[in-house]
Amino acid sequence: MPTLTIDGQPITVSKGTTVIQAAEALGIYIPRYCYHPGLSIAGSCRMCLVEIEKAPRLEVACYSQAADGMVVHTITENVRLARRSVLEFLLSNHPLDCPVCDQSGECDLQNYYMEFGLYQSRFLENKIKRRKAYPIGPHVMLDNERCILCSRCVRFCDEVSKSHELGIVNRGERSEIALYEGRELNNAYSGNVIDICPVGALTERDFRFQCRVWYLNRTASICPGCARGCNIEIHYNVLRPYQSKGKRILRIKPRFNPAVNKWWICDEGRYGFRHIDASNRLRECEAQTADGVIPLGMETALKTAAAWIGESIEQHGKDSVGFFLSPELSNEDLYAILKLARHLGISKIDFRNPGEHPGFEDNFLIRGDKNPNRRGCVELGLYHRQRENGGWMAEEIKQGTLRMLVAFLQDLSLEPEFKAALVSLKRLIFVGSNSNATSEQAGLVLPSATYAEKNGSFTNFQGRAQRFERALVPLGDSLPENELIARIAAHFRMPEQPFEREQLLLDLRAEFPFFDQSTLDPPDVELAYQTTIAQREHA
Amino acid sequence: MSLETLSDQLLAEISEILAKHPQRRPALLPILHACQRRNGYISPEIERAVAELLGIPVIDVREIITFYTLLLPKPVGKHHLQFCTNLSCHLQGAEESVAAACRRLGIEEGETTADRRFTVTTVECLGACDMAPAMQVNDDYYANMTSDRVNELLDKLS
Amino acid sequence: MEKILSKHFFNPEARRLSFYLQNDGYEAARKALTCMSPQEIIEEVMKSNLRGLGGAGFPTGRKWSFIPKDSPEPRYLVVNCDESEPGTFKDRHIIEWTPHTLLEGVMIASFAIGAHQCFVYARGEYVRYANILQTALEEAYRAGFFGKNIFGTGFDLDVMIHLGAGAYICGEESALLESLEGKKGWPRLKPPFPAVSGLFGRPTIINNTETISYVPVIIRNGGEWFSRLGSLKSGGMRLYSVSGHIRKPGVYELPLGTSLREIIYTYAEGMRNGRKLKAVIPGGSSTPVLTAQEIDVKMDFESLAAIGSMLGSAGVIVMDESACLVKALAVLGKFYQHESCGQCTPCREGTGWMTRILHRILTGRGVKGDLENLVRVANNIQGNTICALGDGAAMPMISFVTKFREEFESHIFHKRCTAVR
Ligand SMILES: Cc1cc2nc3c(=O)[nH]c(=O)nc-3n(C[C@H](O)[C@H](O)[C@H](O)COP(=O)(O)O)c2cc1C
Ligand code: SF4
Ligand code: SF4
Ligand code: FES
Repeated sequence: MPTLTIDGQPITVSKGTTVIQAAEALGIYIPRYCYHPGLSIAGSCRMCLVEIEKAPRLEVACYSQAADGMVVHTITENVRLARRSVLEFLLSNHPLDCPVCDQSGECDLQNYYMEFGLYQSRFLENKIKRRKAYPIGPHVMLDNERCILCSRCVRFCDEVSKSHELGIVNRGERSEIALYEGRELNNAYSGNVIDICPVGALTERDFRFQCRVWYLNRTASICPGCARGCNIEIHYNVLRPYQSKGKRILRIKPRFNPAVNKWWICDEGRYGFRHIDASNRLRECEAQTADGVIPLGMETALKTAAAWIGESIEQHGKDSVGFFLSPELSNEDLYAILKLARHLGISKIDFRNPGEHPGFEDNFLIRGDKNPNRRGCVELGLYHRQRENGGWMAEEIKQGTLRMLVAFLQDLSLEPEFKAALVSLKRLIFVGSNSNATSEQAGLVLPSATYAEKNGSFTNFQGRAQRFERALVPLGDSLPENELIARIAAHFRMPEQPFEREQLLLDLRAEFPFFDQSTLDPPDVELAYQTTIAQREHA
Repeated sequence: MSLETLSDQLLAEISEILAKHPQRRPALLPILHACQRRNGYISPEIERAVAELLGIPVIDVREIITFYTLLLPKPVGKHHLQFCTNLSCHLQGAEESVAAACRRLGIEEGETTADRRFTVTTVECLGACDMAPAMQVNDDYYANMTSDRVNELLDKLS
Repeated sequence: MEKILSKHFFNPEARRLSFYLQNDGYEAARKALTCMSPQEIIEEVMKSNLRGLGGAGFPTGRKWSFIPKDSPEPRYLVVNCDESEPGTFKDRHIIEWTPHTLLEGVMIASFAIGAHQCFVYARGEYVRYANILQTALEEAYRAGFFGKNIFGTGFDLDVMIHLGAGAYICGEESALLESLEGKKGWPRLKPPFPAVSGLFGRPTIINNTETISYVPVIIRNGGEWFSRLGSLKSGGMRLYSVSGHIRKPGVYELPLGTSLREIIYTYAEGMRNGRKLKAVIPGGSSTPVLTAQEIDVKMDFESLAAIGSMLGSAGVIVMDESACLVKALAVLGKFYQHESCGQCTPCREGTGWMTRILHRILTGRGVKGDLENLVRVANNIQGNTICALGDGAAMPMISFVTKFREEFESHIFHKRCTAVR
């Protein structure tokens, strides 16, 4: 365990710790381009040069290992000069097209220039012309003129996605990032290169020219795309919707979590937010009448829902009503439903289990189970009730014993047995965010909020219940499921209080010790994709 | 695309190279040299075939070919005239012989004659400053190149 | 002075094994393998004061002593015959005229460090010369000097000759290793040094062709004997490559410490066409240039260091009054711009920048401040790069501009070249 001194502050670190890491632990930020904690060390940008006493020249902090008695200075005149000169070298062939660059505001050339640069340019020569913005894959644009050859993207493709699409061709100042002709950057994790590119050389095709990054609001969330539950940040623009054609969410960025997704997310998750503002979003309550579908006010709709449930129980008994749940619901939603079901004595609860046909899976992040909260269902004791994919329910519907169903989120008609059975249902209430074949068949539709529009938690496959925060106001009349349930419950003389967020959690933990032991990850906003000075100061 | 691109002779040579190398990747440069000797340059087809053969990403092969100046991604003339223009040869007037060759062949530096017999390029130090101005034609070194000697050489090479 | 390596230069017979054997060939190797321990060999080489002749001048015996002892781990010897430093052509002479001396040195060095595999990395342009070496190697194999159980000692050694493919940077030892591993020549970060983790991550000793070629005579005549040939700290002889505006360019084998004046005027027979000497690069293009007033310097590591230059690869480039030093420096600038591997920022961006400034000055578009800027850029490269190519690009810039400032200023302010045509 070597003890070293950085800028006068002593610190003891484990063997193998680099100076840049040790400094970070002391809260001393050393500027860097090529260094990224999730990649191998390149030591090539030379931005992190520091003075180490007794060394004959400046050393790179990203590669130098802490040694006992080492004395490091990160703010001497020599260090300042070296940083400024590296910046000057990088800018010497840089197009300086910040006004039209999407990276503007989160660019480490800009940031470091403000912090360490500010020299008078002495560059009179012609700059090297290179290829400007062109797509290199479904999600990523490359601008060779802006590239500073830090090689992060190449190392990402070699070491993390292991897909080896990128290389640095040519030599010396003619070096540039390239793909083999006819190939594209099209791996399951390609979007991450945009996050790790310290400049505007790799940008998001989807986000291009949508919004200046300083207008973005950011909220910590959890990707609902699969059972991993990658920690993400939702970047949205509510103040200037005209800038992005009314789209509220502009991009998803990974949020660092060493235990779950490190610095990364998959492309599926990164671009999987489109349903949130999609045209099939359910914005208001609807009822099926003889004259077709009519909109309903929320109060009326909830009253109707409660009345239907009450009637059915009264006339045909508790077993005439079933709840068909979804592993896409949050722990809080599920628990609220459970509370209501218990209060009413309803025991016919099941899931549709699309996970029985697992989707694409790899040995990195992507899980075959595309539901964010199957583990939560299991821990709540709901999941084991699942039998033959809910087929038994279809059977009971056909037999006429199960007369009414409250279906959440999913399209039941995707199951052949259900497809046939649904017509025999006397009453179907659909609760969900987007319309589908089932919602179209439902007598009553209650619009619910998406994960971006509510607070809650998902339990990932590792058993981590991870909280997510509300980024957006629910669209139209939609409400989080647990609120809908709470308000239906009110019609059955259940008090509101047990459904309030904090109480729901307290009860959940008291009843299911699992949620007490399991780490309920706080959604601390740590940005994985950038560690720029501006943002650090902001934090 | 694939191994059919490589002739049987070349494949035999490649397996000989591979036999000498316990690991595959270190065989890459010797294999590319062999390919270029037989084919004159390294075409994209060869590039892909070699990548496949060694089980390495084709972009890696591209990196290598664009890094090392002796590996040629494009064909050159039958006689590749490479004039050293580094310091010692420059001091002895290397540029004159380059100009003489270009004049005689009617091409610019870096170009190949229409009949594909000659290519003229300038190169960095050949390690032959004692022969300055020095040049290399394919594998052979030539010393003390003056305009006259360039012309004599071109007569002989024709 | 008796020649060692150059004794039989230009005699084609000397390449043959039979000739070599008649001249006590492989006797030193036999002595080393049969009568000496690896430790004794290393000590003898230490005593000889032999220093690396590839450029850096690191004491060879000391380098060998870094190889881990008593470890079963395979280790390698790599011979650096990349010889791409402008002004240097001695290694080519060695493999062309006395290949067996190198091979005998390889045998002794391998035995000393416990290597059973040696790679000779020759620059790709040297095909013909590498073929001569290959022929010699095959001859030696047939005679049982390589392969299994050499001299009946149980020592096995294989040698493979590997051709580079056109990249000066592959002369830098860690780039060379990358190249041997089938990658592009991007120098590695250090430490670890190759003696600890080199080729394929194994302990590796890399030496210049000439360095290794002096090993047999050291074993034959003793380290002391060799050391006494040279000056106090730099033992022995070495091959000076002399080129430029000189009557007799060529390789001269002389004791370390011979004066530059002697080399130019006595051995290389003085300046061409009776012209006046203007400048000399003493140790290959990367070493700081000297003025005509500085040529009484002794050509050894310490003496050159004392006047702010370096012995480097001992490639002496002589320039007379007809040389335009702005052009000369621009030629060198272009070389480093062309040869920078592109890995690290200062060298990748700086070499091209300096060359563009020089080109502008050369074409009459120089402005006030250019020289300050040129030196500033060079200083910003120097010491801040991954490998010494950056330093090698910076040093000529700083020294040319400092020592011959008027010549550059004349180009900038009077648009006039002061070279005497
Ligand atoms: C850019 C660069 C080029 C070099 N080129 C050569 C070379 O061509 N031949 C050589 O022997 N050493 C060259 N060197 C020096 C080697 O890195 C290394 O120091 C040397 O091969 C060690 O052998 P020695 O100790 O016998 O000199 C070069 C170094 C640098 C930085
Ligand atoms: S594209 Fe971006 S990440 Fe890739 S090397 Fe260039 S600057 Fe670095
Ligand atoms: S100093 Fe130049 S040659 Fe050396 S690693 Fe850096 S870019 Fe490459
Ligand atoms: S961050 Fe250390 S060299 Fe790039």
